[in-house]
Amino acid sequence: MKAAGLLIGCLLFAAAAPAQQVKWNVEKLAARASNNVDIELNGSLLRLATGFLSDTDKDEAQAKKLISGLKGIYVKNLEFKQPGEYSEADLKGFRASLRAPDWTRIVGVHSTEEGENVEVYIKNEGKSIAGLAIIATEPKELTLVNIVGNIDLDALSDLGGQLGIPNVTVDKKK
Amino acid sequence: MNLEDELRSALRRRDPPPDFTARVLKSVAPRSARRPVRPWVGWLGALAASLLLAAGDLGYRHYQGERAKAEVLQAIHIAASKLNVAQKKVQMISHRSNS
Repeated sequence: MKAAGLLIGCLLFAAAAPAQQVKWNVEKLAARASNNVDIELNGSLLRLATGFLSDTDKDEAQAKKLISGLKGIYVKNLEFKQPGEYSEADLKGFRASLRAPDWTRIVGVHSTEEGENVEVYIKNEGKSIAGLAIIATEPKELTLVNIVGNIDLDALSDLGGQLGIPNVTVDKKK
Repeated sequence: MNLEDELRSALRRRDPPPDFTARVLKSVAPRSARRPVRPWVGWLGALAASLLLAAGDLGYRHYQGERAKAEVLQAIHIAASKLNVAQKKVQMISHRSNS
């Protein structure tokens, strides 16, 4: 009887536990940055924002639709005065959290000319996508994005051309 | 009636009226005790305080909502711009390999 109660308790706890943000631990880097954008929007803040996003404004309506299935949006954008203020080792922790089988890297581009690298990861949960992560590095800029929740890729595609979001096609059969 | 009788009559001991004590006590009592605060004044004060608190909370919620909205749009903009970079590079590479 006690075991059954414990099991039910564990299941309830698991159901109530919020979807986890991937930790990036770049606080030391943030202290060295000349410009630091830190956005942390959990589920309740996203729901609050939904009420303030317009239904008539096209961009806002699309954004509203996009965030409706999300549990969190976390963005860290750091700008530095000099190149080389951060290294690959600073991203080790974040990158380590984006391992298979939970996460799949769908895009990885590297530009030697501009020194601009972008990696896009998705988190698979059954047939649906439960998260998105982006690591974008430039000589003087570092951007980390983690979107938690069921991302509607069609809604994301609809935003192509608006707010700068491109049409990203992902093989859903994976 | 001579003067003596008049004085005697004037200075004759008389008992005070029955409500004399009450009237004296009433006259020396503090003003607030004589005029008690009406109950609706208290209710009005409580209502005003509640309205003030509600307005403050509403204002704060509005501020939080507007801030969350701005952050959502900024976050989407940043995420989208980086995705855009990735997509452009992929397109560029596929274009090169096709040509």
